[in-house]
Parts: sequence; C-alpha cells; structure tokens
Amino acid sequence: MCTKLVMLIAGAGLVVASARTSAHHAFAAEFDANNPVKLRGTVAKMEWINPHTWIHLDVKTPKGTVERWMIEGGPPNALYRRGFTQKSLPQGAEIVVEGFRAKDGSMRANGRDLTFADGRRLFVGSSGTGAPKDGRDSSEK
Amino acid sequence: MRVVSWVIVVLASAAAGAFAWTHLPRSSAAEPYQPPRTADGVPDLNGIWQALNTANFDIQSHAARPALAVVPGSPRTGIPGLVRATHVDLPAPPVRALGAAGGVPAGAGVVEGDEIPYQPWALQKKKENADNWLERDPEIKCFMPGVPRATYMPYPFQILQSTNKVLIAYEFAGATRTIHLDKVGDSPSPSWMGWSRGRWDGGTLVVEVTDFNEETWFDRAGNFHSDELRVVERFTPVSANHLMYEATIEDPKVFTRPWKMRMPLYRRLDSDAQIREYKCVEFVEQLMYGQVGVVNPETGSRNQ
Amino acid sequence: MSYRHLVLRALTIAAAVLFAGCSGASLATSSTTTPRTAWGDPDLQGVWRYEGAIPLERPARLAGRAALTEQEVAEQQEVEKEQAAKRLAGFEGAVVGRRSVGESPIRGNEYNSFWQDHGRPRQVSTRTSLVVDPADGQLPYTHEAAKAETRAAARYGVGPYESYLDPDTGERCLTDGVTGMMWQGPNGGHNRIVQSPGYVTILHEEYRDRRVIPVDGRRHGAVRQWFGDAVGRWEGDTLVVDTTNFLDRTNYEWANIWTRPSESLHLIERFKRLDAATLEYTITVEDPATFTRPWTAVIPISKLSDDTQIYEYACHEGNYAMPNLLRGGRTDAARAKR
Repeated sequence: MCTKLVMLIAGAGLVVASARTSAHHAFAAEFDANNPVKLRGTVAKMEWINPHTWIHLDVKTPKGTVERWMIEGGPPNALYRRGFTQKSLPQGAEIVVEGFRAKDGSMRANGRDLTFADGRRLFVGSSGTGAPKDGRDSSEK
Repeated sequence: MRVVSWVIVVLASAAAGAFAWTHLPRSSAAEPYQPPRTADGVPDLNGIWQALNTANFDIQSHAARPALAVVPGSPRTGIPGLVRATHVDLPAPPVRALGAAGGVPAGAGVVEGDEIPYQPWALQKKKENADNWLERDPEIKCFMPGVPRATYMPYPFQILQSTNKVLIAYEFAGATRTIHLDKVGDSPSPSWMGWSRGRWDGGTLVVEVTDFNEETWFDRAGNFHSDELRVVERFTPVSANHLMYEATIEDPKVFTRPWKMRMPLYRRLDSDAQIREYKCVEFVEQLMYGQVGVVNPETGSRNQ
Repeated sequence: MSYRHLVLRALTIAAAVLFAGCSGASLATSSTTTPRTAWGDPDLQGVWRYEGAIPLERPARLAGRAALTEQEVAEQQEVEKEQAAKRLAGFEGAVVGRRSVGESPIRGNEYNSFWQDHGRPRQVSTRTSLVVDPADGQLPYTHEAAKAETRAAARYGVGPYESYLDPDTGERCLTDGVTGMMWQGPNGGHNRIVQSPGYVTILHEEYRDRRVIPVDGRRHGAVRQWFGDAVGRWEGDTLVVDTTNFLDRTNYEWANIWTRPSESLHLIERFKRLDAATLEYTITVEDPATFTRPWTAVIPISKLSDDTQIYEYACHEGNYAMPNLLRGGRTDAARAKR
C-alpha cells in the first residue's frame, strides 16, 4: 500500500509524493493476514485484469480431490514492460503460492510469493518475475 | 468561309460535349469515390461515425420480439377442440415492466448469406447463451464489447487518425482501440478489444485484430467466439458521409469456416457532434454487488 | 529492447532532465523549435510519464523553502538510487526471503511496492513541491475538504466497507479523476497523446481513462460528464485546455480529495513541449466546493521510447476485490456480533 511505502521510505529521509496513488490496496479488507496459506497447483486459467491478475489454480488436496482456488497476482501492465507475458505463466504451469487467505474463508488468496516448481520466482519485487531478461539469469544477455 | 464556320461549330460542339461528359455525375459503379486525403496522403477517415441497424440485437435477420429475455407462455386450455399452434413468448419477469421500451425490433441481418457457420457444439452453446441472456451477456455488466460488436452498438464512435496510429474511441464502457500502423511487437496477453494492426489497401483501411479473450459476444442473441478469434476489418470511404465496413470472422474452435459481416457506417452531421461518456460501471454496481455487502444501498438495511 | 539498454537510455534521459531541473526553480521556456505534426500543429505526441520525485505538496519539514540546496539534492539522489536498486534487487524478496509469509517484516505492506516502481531512480529537482501557487506549496483546502482528506487518508485501503459505495472510485474501477491524470498512476502513470486535425486525444492507461479534446476553441456544451467538457486552443506552441461541466461526485469516496469533481470545478491546463524529451504541464484548479482559492501546479513530464505501449486496462471486467472486500466486511460484522 502506498501509505505504508511512504512510511518505509520516509524513514530513509526520502521525500515522496504525498498523494495516494490509485486503488486496490484494500488488502486488510479482503485477506486475513493471520491466515497464511501455501498451495501447490497448476494454472487452469489466467484473467489478465488490472491492477491484479487472477490465477485460477487447480490444487490437489491430500485426499486426492482437486480444489479450484483463485489467487490474486501482480499487476499485468507493469509486468508486460518487464517482458512478462502470457507465455511466462501458461495454462498447465505448476506453481507454488504463499499468501494470505480470503477473510471469509473461501478458496481465494492473495499471492504474496509465487514460484515455479523449479524455484524461479514470480511477482516478487521488480526482478525475479520468471520473465526472460529480468536479470536473474546471468546467461541471458 | 462556310467551311471554317462549320469547323468551328463542330469543334465547339465537341468541346461542349466533352466538357459535359467529364462533368456528368458519376455512378459509384463507374469509378470509386475518391475521399479527401490527410496530410500524410492517406484516405481521411477522421470523424464521428455510427451504425444504423439492429445488429447489436441480433446480427442475423430476425422478426420483432417482445423482449431480450423471454419465457414460454403456457398452452391455452379450457376450450374443447382448440389447439394453439402458435408458440407464444412472454417477456421474462425481470424485464416485463419495460413493456414496449424493452422490445426487440425486426431487422435484416448483417451477415453475408445470413448464416453463421457454427460447429454443432457451438450452435448448441449459442442457443444456451440466448436462453440465459440476462446472466451471460457481457453488455449487461458493462464489460468491454470487443470487436466488431463495438462498431455497431447504438452509440457514435470517433476515428482519430495520426501518422502511425489510428484510434477508435467508443462510448460504451469507455472502450478505445489503438490501431498500429507502424510495426509493433505481439500482444503480451489476450484482451477484450484485441490487438489491432492496420495498413492501407488502396482506399481501404485494413485492420487485423488478434489476441482476443473468449469473453465478448457479437450481439445480444448469444453469438460468441473463442480465444482463437481473428477479425479482419475493412473501412472504405464511399461518399463524403459514409463508410462501408466489413468484418471477416475466423475462429477454428467455433466455426467451420470464416464468415463476414457488412454494413454502412454513417457520419454524424450534427454541428456539435461529439462522442460522450457512457461510464456504465456505476449503473451496474447495484445489480452486481447490491446484495453482497453488509448493507444494501437500495434499502439502506442490512443484507441477510 | 533489452532491459540493460532500456535502463541506460533512461538514465541518459534522466540525466538530461535532471540537468534542466537542477538549474533552479525557474521553468525555462523553449529555446528550441517545437516539432510539428503533418498538418502543422505543435507536436505533443508520444507516451509520456512523470519521472520526478517532487511531491505535490511541500512537506512540513521544508515549510517556507521553495528550493533544496545542492547538498540536499545530492543526498536525495543517492537515496533515490538506493531505493530503486533495492526495488530492482527484489526488495520484498530480499527481505521476505524464504521465511514464511507469516513472519514478513513488512506486514501491512503485503502488496508488493514494485508496482509503483518506475524501473529506474526518480529524478530529483531543487523544487520542493509541484504546487507553485499558493507560494507555501500547500493545497488550499476548505475546512470541510481538509476534514474529508483526513478521513480519506484514514480509510484508504482499510474501509469500513459496508456496500459498494464505500470503496473509493478507484477501487470501484471508475476513475481517479482528471486532475492528477497527467502525472499520477501505477509506475508513475502512462499517458499516450495522439493528435489528429482538430483534436488532441490523451489515453491514460489506468482505468483506460480517455480525453478527446477538440482544439478549435469552440464553446463549452451543456452536457455534464465525469471528465467534464474540455475545449482546447493553441496559444503559440502551447496547448491550452479549459474544462468545465463536471458531474458532482463529491459524495463519492476518493483516494485523494483533491481529484474529486464538483459542478463548480474548473480546470485550466497548459501543455508545452520544452524539448524532445520533456513536456511542461501546468494545471490550475479552481473549485469553491473543495478549495478556498485556485491553485496551480507545474509538472515536468518525460517522453518514453516510441515502442512503449499503453496496454488494455480491464478492471471492472474482473473486479473480484469488490465482492471480496464486501464479503470480508460481512465476515467482520458477523464476528463482531458473536
């Protein structure tokens, strides 16, 4: 959230824009910070919505059934400018989601930390998006 | 002397005839209309345009009907020997109060051959869409209308032509398309209005639109597509005040072959012609969220 | 274009604008010839973004000071570089690392801040506020508006949300308003300006906000809109846009009160291309419903490379946040009952 960012950066003596930019920061209203989840699943469908993508994730339960979760992901338009595209997160991709569950206990979560099964990271900070040429892979120049 | 004056008369007649011949009004069949050109030397499509047809109701030919959502009337009974052969549709309860303001006007189709070549499974889905119009039509929720539906929705739109980009600004849901005349990379993801690349083919602007998602419809009759939709549009000025518009639809997941829509687009001639906002999100919030929160803004009381 | 190349190019542009910005608080007029469109109007076209670190209002600790010292500028530049580098290194990732999300030291900032990131350090200037009038660099709120702004700040992101009327207009996927459009938005806000004979069109990426502005100096019409009725004209090489006829939305929730329109809102904007890479944007806001007097801000806006795109912004088409936060509100209310 922007106000929190202001607090963080002000601590470093930095002058920042006093305005709250834009919206969709209602984390505390949607998700429960005391209810962390960790899910492993495959991408069934992507909704390329701003300011947050929504990942429809098929998660296999220990019982062997499949649950359909909705995971709130990062802002697509910002990611496109870093080379992230639909090819970076295709249908069938296996990902691990660490996040916080929806307040009402439904099968929705905010994807705080997303990684591919092989450890490559998604949506965390400006790099490590899993996109090509994001600076993570030194062999890519 | 007489020969000279004769020659003069003949020459003058020939000249008069030639003059008259070159200034005869031309039929459009004889020679294509030459539109004014922009400063870049290409046909000028700038302006405010609007379709005047019933395509947004149904892109195929259709009779008038009572409403966009109907329920079957029950068969008449009680009179011995009377068999009601005519099936009667009644406006569905949610739209009944609109009365004649909610009816569907008759109209000719805009589809070449009036047939949409659905695959069998897709024809079934189209029928289901039509039967569940209120729940399924994305127009109702103020979602972006996609292409080509945005062209023939009942609102004016504006074409704004710059050197490397042509913008089409639509009123409904504030949708805008950027048509790239210059080289651009690929669309990073599927979108509602697609990714448009344009080029000039003589007097026609040809636009190839790809990278659609599967969410939009072609009309209120449930006609739909998949995320493999590809549309090729042709905008051709044919007079000072109208364009001919063609859209070729290709979608191998849904149709058995490509098919085409065609219609005139008319220039809005009002002296103060302007496109306006149709920011309909706030029009549908009560519909979509009224009963979801703690309080219902319609009644002011708590939702159960 | 490769990321490295982009950063190098951006830093070069940043250096150029930095030089211009640091030459004092004076706002130089153009000494170069403005490029022209094919039909001869001044050319403002391209994708533009505010890259600066100047806040809208002067911070309290700098009260009375219109300019920073060279030393302060140098210090701030270092901080900006550090912040950008941290974001580039995956600030949240570095801090959160492989610890469990429950232990996150940035609890409360669970949304990655990188979507505010420009991808490069913000440009530092000696100016201490974008607001140049009033001279104290503060927005001249009415008493009621100042209270509303305090309330908006307290509600931002936390609610309470009892119905769809309670989230702010941005969370409802409506708009954040016209006033801040040219310099605010995620990653600084992208705006594409496209010109055609008789019109200047601005496409703002967020909310897909759009302004189609006739530049024939016509009179205002009679129709009220969220973005009002804008008419433009050229004064030399400067585009002057006058906008009135806004709809009253003062009773809606706004992330920033200074962007809310009322029926008495009147905007006067000036767009002047200073050089190939810079647009000087001046906005004067007059609205007795929110401010005690008109105020003016001047914002230097930077041109991005020609292959920068404005992407589709589908927000309402998948606004799951709305039902989520409304259901969250019901859960809270049910818990409170027990």
